[in-house]
Amino acid sequence: MTLAALGRLAVRSWDAARGTIDRLREAHRHPPRRVRLERFGAIVQLTVPRALVFVDRALARRAVAIGGAGGPAGDPAIWGGPETAVGDAPLSAPLEAHLQLTNRCDAGCRGCYTGASPDGARGEWGLAEWMRAIDELAAAGVFHVALGGGESAVLPWLGELADHARRRGIVPNLTTSGLAGLDRLLAIAGRFGQINVSLDGLGPTYARVRGFDGFARADAAIRALRRVKREVGINVVVTRGNFDELDRLFAYAAERRLSEVELLRFKPSGRGARAYDGLRCSDAQHRALLPAVLAAARRHAVRVKVDCSYTPMLAHHRPDRALLAELCVYGCTGGDFLVGAKPGGQLTACSFAAPPPAAPASSDARPRITELRGYWETRDAFGAFRRWRDAREPCASCEYHALCRGGCKVVSAHVTGDPAAPDPECPRVIDHARRARDGRVHLRVVS
Amino acid sequence: MRRGRILAIKWGMNPNSSSLGVDVTFLLVGATVLAAVTPVIGALLRWRRAVPVEPPAAPPAAPPAGSSHGEPA
Repeated sequence: MTLAALGRLAVRSWDAARGTIDRLREAHRHPPRRVRLERFGAIVQLTVPRALVFVDRALARRAVAIGGAGGPAGDPAIWGGPETAVGDAPLSAPLEAHLQLTNRCDAGCRGCYTGASPDGARGEWGLAEWMRAIDELAAAGVFHVALGGGESAVLPWLGELADHARRRGIVPNLTTSGLAGLDRLLAIAGRFGQINVSLDGLGPTYARVRGFDGFARADAAIRALRRVKREVGINVVVTRGNFDELDRLFAYAAERRLSEVELLRFKPSGRGARAYDGLRCSDAQHRALLPAVLAAARRHAVRVKVDCSYTPMLAHHRPDRALLAELCVYGCTGGDFLVGAKPGGQLTACSFAAPPPAAPASSDARPRITELRGYWETRDAFGAFRRWRDAREPCASCEYHALCRGGCKVVSAHVTGDPAAPDPECPRVIDHARRARDGRVHLRVVS
Repeated sequence: MRRGRILAIKWGMNPNSSSLGVDVTFLLVGATVLAAVTPVIGALLRWRRAVPVEPPAAPPAAPPAGSSHGEPA
């Protein structure tokens, strides 16, 4: 091991140790939700190491002291049926909720998935409504919220909302562009579990992807946030324009001593629908993604996350399915592991999904996040997002389908017009379509 | 009493407000390291004081059902 590598290891260890102390202090001040019962057993939250641990009923009986009225065997009602496996049925509530607090943002990124604008959306909620949403999420048993926008850092009440989440046992996390509201954010950064700054390229690449030169400001925000907080990372939307720069982005993250790099697939949503053909990765890039990012993560000793929509690209390399399941690597878990909320509180399966329509007999509007518990149990709740088991080929015969769940429904809906169609960017789907080209089966894919 | 087992571990937190991020750093080191880490987490859960939890309260009345919901935009 070289001296430089030893130095990096020492720096990483120091940051990890200090980060652990910070987390323990915050958990002491505001204890997060520690456990939630599930049909398969329970989910236990650990602060050190930071993890949600899914355990079976036998281990839950040892690790959890269950209060309240029990069933015949002293078990809670949720364990009344047979013990299931993770993924056999939707969770009892989401693990996390993605709250789009505002659609206001001046940046004007050409691929913005929410179509954010300086005017924001009509009927945006304020602090009181979002606090009620947090109360509902806490009652449902949600562990984390990811706050975003638009640009949420400009909201004068963002810190107050984060405090409220902490008081209710929910850990608030944040994504910001770093382009606005930085001074205010620096003052409240400690209230968040993890803050990631969107950074889709270095120097001129940032401008090529986003349509304007904002790298210097984003970089300045990252450095400023990192001075006041250790758990700061970057979100990188991977496009054909920055794919070749991934290694340099990991190097950048290491140089800035960031805690993680999270890679996001480009989604054809909002303004991104128009920019999709020009920015989406090629099939060759998708197939090369996993080896490329793991090599970069290893080379620069930076933790790497990928978003749920990349699961087909991971499965392409045929990793051990048991290992993926143990790491909670799932494809589309909208309306199950996660839910979203629009700036007016409309409940969605994920941030890219349209809100469910109002029921025909209802005079009321679409369900809100404040009605989560009621809607969660509704028949056909979240539509195609929960009907992933009704898969067509080549998903139906894919041994990774129970994990991948058919890939990204937002991409499927945009390309094929059917959210339930197999993900058209999945390598297996592309290969299947090629093989079937002269047969009777035709799938629309993009390669 | 059966010892029970860990089914899955979701590492870290997800600040990304548009999708669910999962930590795949473990794919670098493979199942062997995870197999070493998991028993440590299991022991932590077994040996620490049991965490009190109340069974979930009944949700408020559900909105009317019957329509197809939540398709992508």
